[in-house]
Amino acid sequence: MTRLSGGLIDRSRTLRFSFNGQALTGHPGDTLASALMANGVLLVGRSFKYHRPRGIFTAGSEEPNALVEIGSGARAEPNTRATVVELFDGLQARSQNHVGSLKRDLLAVNDWFSPFFAAGFYYKTFMWPQKFWEKFYEPAIRHAAGLGRLSGEPDPDAYDKGFLHCDLLVIGGGAAGLAAALTAARTGARVILADEDFRLGGRFLAETHPLDDAPATDWIAGAEAELSSLPNLRIMRRTTVYGVFDSGVYGALERVSDHLPGPAKLRQTLWRITARRAVLAAGATERHIPFANNDRPGVMLAGALRAYANRYAVAPAERVAIFTNNDDGHRTALDLLGKDVAVAGVIDSRAGAQAQGDYPLFAGATVTDSKGRHGLRAVEVTANGRAEWLDCGALGVSGGWNPNVHLASHHRGRPVWDEAAQVFLPPPDGPEGLFVAGAAAGHGSTAAALRSGAEAARDALAGLGLDVSLPDLPRTEDAGLNLHPLWHVPGKGRAWVDFQNDVTVKDIALSYLENMRPVEHLKRWTTLGMATDQGKTANVTALAVMAELTGQTIPQTGTTIFRPPYTPVALSALGGGDNGGHFKPRRLTPTHQWAAAQGAVFVEVGQWMRAQYFPRAGESHWRETVDREVLATRKGVGICDVTTLGKVDVQGADAGEFLNRVYANAMGSLKVGMVRYGLMLREDGVVWDDGTCARLADTHYVVTTTTANAGTIYRHMEFCRQCLWPELDVQLISTTDAWAQIAVAGPNARRLLERIVDGFDLSNEAFPFMACASLTICGGLRARLFRISFSGELAYEIAVPARYGNALMARLVEIGADLGATPYGTEALGVMRIEKGHAAGNELNGQTTAQMLGLGRMVSTKKDSIGAVMSRREGLASERRVLVGLEPVDPARPVVAGAHLFADGAEQNTDTDQGWITSGAHSPHLGHAIGLGFLDNGAARMGEMIVAANPLQGQTVKVRVTSPHFIDPEGERLRA
Amino acid sequence: MLIPHPLLGPRDAQEFFCLGSASLLDRPDGMSDGAQAAFHDYVYLRDNPAGVHRELWFHEQGDRSWLVVTRNTLTHEILGAELARDVALRAKGGAA
Amino acid sequence: MPDRVHDLSPLPATGGAAPATARHGALTLTENDGLALASLALRRGGAQPAPFGLTLPGPGGWAAQGEISAFWTGPDQWMIEGHRLAGMDFAARVAAEASGASVTEQTDGFAAFEIRSSAGEAPILALLAKLVNIDPANLASGRAARTGLHHMSVFVIRRAPDHLAVAGMRSAAGTLWHVLETAVARLDAAAA
Repeated sequence: MTRLSGGLIDRSRTLRFSFNGQALTGHPGDTLASALMANGVLLVGRSFKYHRPRGIFTAGSEEPNALVEIGSGARAEPNTRATVVELFDGLQARSQNHVGSLKRDLLAVNDWFSPFFAAGFYYKTFMWPQKFWEKFYEPAIRHAAGLGRLSGEPDPDAYDKGFLHCDLLVIGGGAAGLAAALTAARTGARVILADEDFRLGGRFLAETHPLDDAPATDWIAGAEAELSSLPNLRIMRRTTVYGVFDSGVYGALERVSDHLPGPAKLRQTLWRITARRAVLAAGATERHIPFANNDRPGVMLAGALRAYANRYAVAPAERVAIFTNNDDGHRTALDLLGKDVAVAGVIDSRAGAQAQGDYPLFAGATVTDSKGRHGLRAVEVTANGRAEWLDCGALGVSGGWNPNVHLASHHRGRPVWDEAAQVFLPPPDGPEGLFVAGAAAGHGSTAAALRSGAEAARDALAGLGLDVSLPDLPRTEDAGLNLHPLWHVPGKGRAWVDFQNDVTVKDIALSYLENMRPVEHLKRWTTLGMATDQGKTANVTALAVMAELTGQTIPQTGTTIFRPPYTPVALSALGGGDNGGHFKPRRLTPTHQWAAAQGAVFVEVGQWMRAQYFPRAGESHWRETVDREVLATRKGVGICDVTTLGKVDVQGADAGEFLNRVYANAMGSLKVGMVRYGLMLREDGVVWDDGTCARLADTHYVVTTTTANAGTIYRHMEFCRQCLWPELDVQLISTTDAWAQIAVAGPNARRLLERIVDGFDLSNEAFPFMACASLTICGGLRARLFRISFSGELAYEIAVPARYGNALMARLVEIGADLGATPYGTEALGVMRIEKGHAAGNELNGQTTAQMLGLGRMVSTKKDSIGAVMSRREGLASERRVLVGLEPVDPARPVVAGAHLFADGAEQNTDTDQGWITSGAHSPHLGHAIGLGFLDNGAARMGEMIVAANPLQGQTVKVRVTSPHFIDPEGERLRA
Repeated sequence: MLIPHPLLGPRDAQEFFCLGSASLLDRPDGMSDGAQAAFHDYVYLRDNPAGVHRELWFHEQGDRSWLVVTRNTLTHEILGAELARDVALRAKGGAA
Repeated sequence: MPDRVHDLSPLPATGGAAPATARHGALTLTENDGLALASLALRRGGAQPAPFGLTLPGPGGWAAQGEISAFWTGPDQWMIEGHRLAGMDFAARVAAEASGASVTEQTDGFAAFEIRSSAGEAPILALLAKLVNIDPANLASGRAARTGLHHMSVFVIRRAPDHLAVAGMRSAAGTLWHVLETAVARLDAAAA
């Protein structure tokens, strides 16, 4: 096939591309589809189910057939519509969904067995024998089904997201959209004009009728020039507005560089547009008229045929025919004649149709069959019961135009049937602030579209208090379609309704016979409209066929509504482009640099990266390292970054009273310069979090939370402050990141700290257990010191401004070498707290009460606090399981968290279950495994031998019940 | 969805954390007689209306204000928003 | 009252030997290691102070005077900024200027990045659209907002038409730098 004259392609430049390895050429301005057509390639793919040869059916984003794979390797993109792929130099495209070559697809055998693949066949065929499903049917179906294949490799491209705000978003840059944008932009309002095409103009680009006696492209150029000059208007080409969300939020995908050769810095941007008002000017999609064997390459929408001839200067064949039920089909015939394409005839189903030009007219006739294995060769024309074959290489089918109401029904508004126009119009209860204009609103003529676009902009902006005058619009055609409905041509052969999912008129009839009549059932029984094109060229026709079968009207039969996205959006784009190490924020402790330099192994704790342990040369197993860190701490002094604990600064005259109400135990009575352990409950009485509360001054406290709950506890405290007790004078602010906090623990802790404090008395008398103070260290750096212990040793936590944390850590280890100063990580931290019997996340898991933790008496009855009342309700108060320690009778055996506890010799089932193990570790101090757990009546069972059962590993271990304090139960070390 | 922040104007709902019914503002007195029953209702019995609902939203990625937002759960239409602190103070003033 | 001389070396939030900096096209991105911060909250019913003679701005506002500036962070709450004052106990200095208010040290709670344009406000507006879901009309010069940026909570301050500052939690400075630097570089690539 050679090119036609004219068109909006740049013939001065040639672009090379390939299809299935064959080298071809095209021009800038081409789509892949138009370029393929210009090279005589009509067969471009195979259908989903029957593997029928398929060609190019449309000239837009509604394309059901011409789906190809673009690119190669990890960048291969399946199921790409050739009709919207902008041609670029070096583009590689491949057909998909065939085994063997495209022309000799081995799976075309499916077509022979089509009687077995009728609607619902999955549900009926693959039922027996049942065990065949997983092993045989499903893998076989999965292999054969689907269209393109994913590369299976990570997507190497960059994606981005962004946020835009405007007064008016205009969706679609055709007649109505341009008129709306001009009208609105001239008021100074902030306007965004988005269009999915790479060129503004919409349907104008496919037509020949003049505007004010000049080509439409002149008017578009003028409009575009004006719009580009306005600072308050942003034009977004290659941008599909794919969804309408609440409160005027729109999703849009901008294809930033898909049209450029080679990998780009940025492939696509997902925009979230907040628009006070919007105009939907998405145009209309032509519908086809199913007839027997209507799916051959060369059969296409008549308006698409016109678009290829006028915009892309190409026709699929030298001799074409038109099948129509309205005047628009004749317009296509005239445009093709104007481009010197032979028109074999216009087959018009209307008996009184008149020829509009010099072409054979078959009035009152229909197309009843077609021929041509890999491309159309002839159509059978039937009139008055007489059939004849008409030779043609392409057939344009025009069954009227469906308004693109999709976005208007994204909030579940149901489109309304217009009997006169035989179309579904946008729902009257569409998204608030969205005005529909142009062909999308049923205003199909150019003049009506321009007018309605301008009016929609005026109406939309009137709601924002902007006074809008309508622009002068060009004179142009204002013709109607004079459509006489014909929804399908009855007959024996298979007549396709949904090309992409291979749904035929017969499938709809079968669905009717099997009582799958509501549209929702029809869709699921036949898979109609469920493919990547979401039935843009199929749904309304299918509904009309079902209406005919049921003898009901179309509105009685139902309507289809739409969900986002309007056209497919890559998951990579929805993901916003953050992957790998940047998938989520990564928080580093202030001593991270130092720890990394020591070769620390890090562990993810929520967003934090924490040093897990610090392996030394010669240590072959993490346990070896952890054991060393624990023993070094208990013998000398260990140092650990504990910055990740949440810190909240609490100030105000009523700070003490506020904390009394937030904590289960009293805090108002805490003396200045002292710290108290604090327990927080949820309002339902269950333990939520624990931490320490330090009183730095009369009206100033600093409280800590667990790492995991830092955000939620702060939120809860703000809830208490603002919502429950706004009358209290209290101010809160998080200071988690501001201070580097380092635990210094072990018998040598005091001696080590004495080397850095500036003349501060650390003696037990001056600074006892649970004291706190502000002081300076290292010759003047402000710091806070807390004498608190998680390990059970004599221990302190010292806080300095975060930027000095790294240096302080290095300093402590360096100057404490003679004291055995040893950095330790979260593993050793965990071991030591289990040895000491301190509860942590495993024990505070949202199912435990203060009583279970042995802290029941902390819940004060003298005051009201969050959760206090509910913690005393019968069900919780009668709970007998309490925290105990557990050690294996045979010291070689493990203690595994998650194991359940049973009386020795008892049957093991849920009735005899007496509790469970929450934490287990190897205690280097004791030389065997230890654990913590909740055990029925545990306090009275010290020394008893019970059984820990771990059915997951078929393991039962005899354990002895002990105090949870494996080390220094009297607390002599930490008070030393 | 946009939340009309009374001080900052419309802000995207993604900046907020939604806690649920604004009835949580009406916390019973834990020291009063019958507190058990009152707290049972407070913690567990909340209306879940199909229609207008008063909800607590926290502007977590914003000014850290708790808001009482009146929202139609059927249409997502937002009928108003005010600072929860003001609502709570008004309620306490009324009770006094 | 600068800190007395001590011998611990500070580390910039981004972890390098010096504060991070980058330039792409018209935009320069600099880690502002010298910014001191202190939060200021009114006591209940307390009068609004004017620290350093600065009138504290209303909701969404930012105001500057010399080396001191302030932005609104919540009802009756502000963040006071001290430029090139990070080496001192800034909170103590603010507290002295705002007696009766609750002041908390925040200098190392945040990592701040200054973004300056050499081509007017257009690159700043383009960058804002890629960073935060705030209408730029609400982030004109002299405005500040706290919002989400790549799942982090950040302050965005428009110090001038061609000057934006972004401050986020210090522990995530690396992620924030990556996000800002990537966005700035992409804008430059798109402009090329």
